[in-house]
Amino acid sequence: MLETGLHVAFDDCYNFVEALIYSLVPDNIPVRKRVYSTEEENTQYMKILAEIRYRPAGVVGGYTDRILRVDLSTQEISIQKLPPDFKHMYTGGRGYALKLIWDETGRDTRHDSPENLLVMASGPLGNEPGFPGTGKFIVGSISPLTDTFIDSNVGGHFGPLLKLAGFDALAVSGIFGEDAVVLIDGDNGTISIAAAPVYDEKTDKGALSFGARLLQDVNSGEYSDSLAAVVAGEGAVNSRFGIVNSLYYDRRRQRLRAKQAGRGGTGTVMRTKKLRGIVVKSGLPRANGNNAVDKKLVRQAGASLQKVITHCDHLQLNLSAWGTTGLSEYMNRFHIFPVNNYQFGQSPEAPKLFASVFLNEYFSKNLPDGCYYGCNLACSKGVETVVLTRGPMKGMTVSVDGPEYETVAAVSNMGIFDPRFVLEYNWYCDEYSLDTISTGVTGGFFMECVERGFLTHEDIGYALEFGNIDAVDRMLHEIGRGEGFGRIAGQGVARGKRWVAEKYAARKGLDADEVMTELNKFGMEVKGLEFSMYVTRESLAQQGGYGFSLKGPQHDETWLIFIDQVHREIPSLEDKANALKWFPLIRTWFNATGLCKLPWIDVRNPEAAGTPEPVKNTPTLAYYIDYLNGTTGSRKDLQDILDDSERLQLLQKLINLRQGKGTRENDRIPLRAMSPVFPHEYQVRAEYYDTWLKDNAGDRAVPASPEEKLKLLQEEREQAYQKLCDIVYDKKGYNSQGVPKRETVTKFGLLDEKAGRLLKEYGE
Amino acid sequence: MVTIELFGIHREIAGIDKIKLPVGEKTLVSDALDYVRKKFPAISLKEYSVLITVNHEVASPDRPLKADDTVCILPHIGGG
Repeated sequence: MLETGLHVAFDDCYNFVEALIYSLVPDNIPVRKRVYSTEEENTQYMKILAEIRYRPAGVVGGYTDRILRVDLSTQEISIQKLPPDFKHMYTGGRGYALKLIWDETGRDTRHDSPENLLVMASGPLGNEPGFPGTGKFIVGSISPLTDTFIDSNVGGHFGPLLKLAGFDALAVSGIFGEDAVVLIDGDNGTISIAAAPVYDEKTDKGALSFGARLLQDVNSGEYSDSLAAVVAGEGAVNSRFGIVNSLYYDRRRQRLRAKQAGRGGTGTVMRTKKLRGIVVKSGLPRANGNNAVDKKLVRQAGASLQKVITHCDHLQLNLSAWGTTGLSEYMNRFHIFPVNNYQFGQSPEAPKLFASVFLNEYFSKNLPDGCYYGCNLACSKGVETVVLTRGPMKGMTVSVDGPEYETVAAVSNMGIFDPRFVLEYNWYCDEYSLDTISTGVTGGFFMECVERGFLTHEDIGYALEFGNIDAVDRMLHEIGRGEGFGRIAGQGVARGKRWVAEKYAARKGLDADEVMTELNKFGMEVKGLEFSMYVTRESLAQQGGYGFSLKGPQHDETWLIFIDQVHREIPSLEDKANALKWFPLIRTWFNATGLCKLPWIDVRNPEAAGTPEPVKNTPTLAYYIDYLNGTTGSRKDLQDILDDSERLQLLQKLINLRQGKGTRENDRIPLRAMSPVFPHEYQVRAEYYDTWLKDNAGDRAVPASPEEKLKLLQEEREQAYQKLCDIVYDKKGYNSQGVPKRETVTKFGLLDEKAGRLLKEYGE
Repeated sequence: MVTIELFGIHREIAGIDKIKLPVGEKTLVSDALDYVRKKFPAISLKEYSVLITVNHEVASPDRPLKADDTVCILPHIGGG
């Protein structure tokens, strides 16, 4: 008792003195590193290893000008104050991540290097319930798949709460010795590194399960929308395409929901750092969370966009009812829906995966969905009650957040058209923390290897074939657990190709590089990242969209496939090149600022019809510019924000160059992305391709034999892609090798000594 | 005859994905839209909300139609 009493008295005195000191210092000071010595002093399940106290900086005009730095190697927690002009050069969000990684990593930095950073950042326009789609943040890092910069875009409350807790960005460096969690408590003014709690084997391996327990434990057993977490499960340990799950409490559904930073393996980086989860808490009001300079302008802009969504979405894509599953039928109709490793773009079985199936049989109805407050597009659909019929959690009742179109198409890419399996695949990928896209494209690649005789069932251990649900289910769990063939499949397509080539070459006495040449034709990756879920061979613009994409073939930079292939609105090379310049700039601006682009790009404003280029939907863009200027106090126009975005694209290009992924050679795309590869792919659309050859082969005579027609088609398509490279590079201010010219880098204020040396290496 | 293809919410309301329209010498795209409106009054076909293609080319309402043409009534899909 005496010991306890003295201890309490000492603690009270210490707290008083600490509070006095704290009140006298402006921002933060690591008043003490608290090390708990007894169980009673710890949070019930977590041992605090390092902690600082701080005063959250207020948000002014969308920014706090603070980055939270956590070094897991040294257990140092610090707050970096940014000079006021930093944000003018590097917008974001995405801009912060790029600048930090450019400055603090090097050519030899890989995903598992201690100096690699895991950056999470929203942007100046994140967190405004009066404007639709402001719940986005990015997770940026050096990717385990591409070995260069990846930024993966994700929704939920984490980004807004991080800002309310006082930070524009969180940058985690180093590698910890044991699994840890970071706790950011903006209400109590503490930031802690804690030993990750240990619950039980099942919970600890999962992401959703672990995150759910963690969020309750830090809040006395209750969920709250003042807290959000990011977590990654065991699949992120065992694969290169681990995701970061963004968890938040949905008051309407009264449960935790999950969105995913899916592409590029940022979850793998997180687990490599031994970072099990990050929790952020802030009870500050969300309304006017950005402390906008002109609140009236922000309100007006938000009201205008909400009105367009209300009046137009249900007449167009109907995202608010169907979510993105609505895309399936359009993609299937126009041969863009990937089937059997992108061999086909259409299937008679595809209607089983159309949106109406999910809406009528699975999605919860009459629930306004959304990943953040204030968005009336509300397209984050979910299924409340799914009893798992497969896998280690068979028999368990779960809720599934999704599926999105990409998850549906990742499953069709493996030849499966079972909507029930799509849901289970979605849930397990989230729980393991696996990218549904990379899993489906990698699975499709290996299935085709079996189909073509490069692999046998014995190589894999089971019949991994198109349409075999049991085999896909087995592969999924093997990847998640790092077992069996999953250890190979979890490396992704780029490294998987090398494994297949060496195995097949050894078996047949061939040269492995020659085998690779064949595998490269249908291994659907660029720069190491697997393709997202669109069959591009009839859209030269989208081929460029994937090939030139700085992070790899992910469509958030460019999605031109419909206006090119279906609308035929950009028929000439010049038209396509102009689109390939403009659209990536505006699309990635959304990523930089903490915004979702769907309210702009997928809800056509009635006023757009009267503009010179309706596809750009500039009347809606005007609302975003007002929102930006109203929030930050700037006076920017559309060209200004395109310039801001181009600066970031150039910085990303410089990182790519440094990491060896920035030249024309790295923009090469697989033959299947441009053309049928094998005769049967030509034959299923023979009439279409025959007509195409007649119309496009110019002076070259169309041959009679199917083999020669296929060869001519492939040559024409390859030539067209190379011509596109030439014209697009010119428009972007690059030389013929895809390297930015010196004057281009100078124009955007990026030509420092490091950039200059790098350009010189590449002949600029 | 001209084939009119319906998708998404239009297909759901109509209950079918293709309808046939007899075509004369002066049948226009706008006539095809009017035909759909009359046949399925619940389908809202505001011009700004749809994109019309004829044989996979974007078409204006005053484009003439001929036999065996395929008219698609599509939403604007920008790709998120």
